[in-house]
Amino acid sequence: MPIDFSYKKFLVIDDFSEFRSTLRRILWGFNAKDIDDATNGEAALDMMAAKAYDIILCDYNLGYDKKDGQQVLEEAKHLGLLRFSTIFIMITAENNLQMVMGAVEYRPDDYLIKPFTRDVLKTRLERAFGRKSDFELIEKAIAAKEYLKAIRLCDQYVQKIPKNIFEYMKLKGELCITIGDFQTAKTVYEKILSIREIPWAKLGMGKVLYYTENYEAAAETFRALTAENSMYVEAYDWLSKTYIATNSHEDAQQALVIASEISPKSVMRHKTIGEISYRLNDLDTSERSYKKAISLGQHSYFRSPSFYTGLAKVLVDKKEPDTALNVIRDIRNAFQNDTNASMHASAMETIVYRDMNRTEEAKKSMQDAMMMLDASTEKMPENIAIDLAKACFDLGDKAAGTRIVQQVVRNNHEDEEIINRVKDIFANTHMESEGSQIIAAAQKETIQINNKGVRLVDEGRLEEAIEYFEKAAASLNGNKIINANAAQALIMFMQKNGKDDALIGRARKYIEQVASIDLSYSRYQKLLGMFENLAGG
Amino acid sequence: MIDKTGKDSKDMQFPAFLASIAHDMKNSLGMLITTIDEIIAGCSSEDCRSKPMFSRLQYESKRVNNNLIQLLTLYRMDKSHYNLNIEYNSVPELLEDAVIQNRPLLEFRNISLRTECQEDLSWFFDRDLIAGVLNNVLNNAYRYANGLITITAGVRDGYLAIDIADDGQGYPDYMLTGSAGSGTINFSTGSTGLGLYFASIVAEMHNNRGKEGYIRTSNCNIGGGGCFSIFLP
Repeated sequence: MPIDFSYKKFLVIDDFSEFRSTLRRILWGFNAKDIDDATNGEAALDMMAAKAYDIILCDYNLGYDKKDGQQVLEEAKHLGLLRFSTIFIMITAENNLQMVMGAVEYRPDDYLIKPFTRDVLKTRLERAFGRKSDFELIEKAIAAKEYLKAIRLCDQYVQKIPKNIFEYMKLKGELCITIGDFQTAKTVYEKILSIREIPWAKLGMGKVLYYTENYEAAAETFRALTAENSMYVEAYDWLSKTYIATNSHEDAQQALVIASEISPKSVMRHKTIGEISYRLNDLDTSERSYKKAISLGQHSYFRSPSFYTGLAKVLVDKKEPDTALNVIRDIRNAFQNDTNASMHASAMETIVYRDMNRTEEAKKSMQDAMMMLDASTEKMPENIAIDLAKACFDLGDKAAGTRIVQQVVRNNHEDEEIINRVKDIFANTHMESEGSQIIAAAQKETIQINNKGVRLVDEGRLEEAIEYFEKAAASLNGNKIINANAAQALIMFMQKNGKDDALIGRARKYIEQVASIDLSYSRYQKLLGMFENLAGG
Repeated sequence: MIDKTGKDSKDMQFPAFLASIAHDMKNSLGMLITTIDEIIAGCSSEDCRSKPMFSRLQYESKRVNNNLIQLLTLYRMDKSHYNLNIEYNSVPELLEDAVIQNRPLLEFRNISLRTECQEDLSWFFDRDLIAGVLNNVLNNAYRYANGLITITAGVRDGYLAIDIADDGQGYPDYMLTGSAGSGTINFSTGSTGLGLYFASIVAEMHNNRGKEGYIRTSNCNIGGGGCFSIFLP
């Protein structure tokens, strides 16, 4: 398919000026006129945000301790900088090929191994344009989060364009997992594996086993995969997840360490190693990992104040509170005008000062933290909240401690592990009986809140139910039942009174919240089905 | 598996060091090849008397590049750092890529390249490894063919069979594999045989349901030219 390149907007990303100018000359030869270039990933992402490119040619290796091409692709996708029509081609030396092709989730449209000739580049670009149209409708449905529609399209295209059959089935499997339809996902992967033992199909099968809580079989699947494909990073990640689910934290840590040796630039993986190592009381590894997550995440979409608070906790345990305070200062520098980050910082500061017996400063930080907790739209991560609550009780502020405990319990009123950790706070502060009462009351209260809303729905008072559940969901944003009910009330209202864009947007928000809390929650799929029937019809 | 977290790093250092030098060489070579391509693209034969020499440069640098890629890939396979990337690929696209990469050079020697393949044929293979094998065979054929190279691909007995035949002198006896799959190549003779060795390793790495891939070298009944075949289950 001949393409008129003179209208296309090109972006060339490479740290070597020689190569950038070579590519530029080749592209001029194709009659291309609009060619920009960037020397590193950050500059490239800024440019993508400012201009909608048609074709991006990105080198995988963009310099030591710089973002690599895979990270540029990942962040561009997360930040929504790539349109469906944008063609992203990774250019790589053959030794990095595995990193590009091994990733299941973020794959470029094509890859080219250096050196390549102008004719090869031209053919690949033309083919990429052809392939785009084979996947355009499915990709659009996925971007609009119309997953059921995307799955239907996959089924249709398998018939229509048989040469892409395995890619359509792969997408279908992933989509089924996304919506929690593990049975169909299993059928898809079984079918593929009966034809050919493809690693990504085995990985998919392992994920299905994981989500259906067959942890032994899942671990076996992932172990076998890593044995056959020693560079398959995602298999190690899933193996580690499975070990965590079965409380084998040491094995989980080991699997992730291998993964991070193969692919050393993943911010989130270092963070997870930091967390697991902290649980294992392996403070040195934990410290190192959090530091890596912080430095790699510095200019990244994936940065988070939780890397800093994680590191600060390690330093407290290592009896280096002054260093911990410096880390907290870094949070405020790195995340200016970010209420959520300030809340993290103040909460952590409370814990550190309390540990240092600097009571006055601890109290001041605690007040700040409580103020921001009310102002922040995001919920405080449980591990920080629990530590903060403990510090509040230690500092004699029962009211503040109780408030935090109530919030944790309300968000997780059925989660035994978290409830037990909350109970531990009280055990250590000699408030056991009082604590049990606070916990039981918060649990009961949540159940009552939910029941009252359900009654409104049963009585057909849908408008009131919506108002009620949305209010409840605002303060209980970590509670899947409340969020599911908020979504359901909205959907039922629209089924009765017709759809409405604003209500659809709100229903989607609650459904996504449910998925982010617990993907395998049985009601999630049903809600999604109801929602897409309504929104799509 | 799990227990190889850097324990063997001492033993690894020397070959790893060599591998990293080889990669560095490959980068320079990459620039060299790209530059030569640019020079050749910019010189038409009338006003450029050096074109034959540039083409010679192009051929030799590609040869070195192919060999380096093979060495590095074999090195990684040996360290089990190479993971096969088997996907369902379009066969005509594979052949088209090989033709595009090699045609300019072959045209210079007045060798034409013909492909025969069903348009909708797809098969399971590691695209880069098989492309490496084809490039290498075509690069050799450049030396031995008289005027025509034919690439034929199709499914035979549950295998994807790709044949590359030239109209030259044919393989010498010591490079012939004999009957399908049974032969082993004798590498102790004159030629290093790296290309065929690489091809046979790559073929063997492709296996499916107990069947293993293999290569065959033969001489055509008619014309007597060499024919390289790779079979992938």
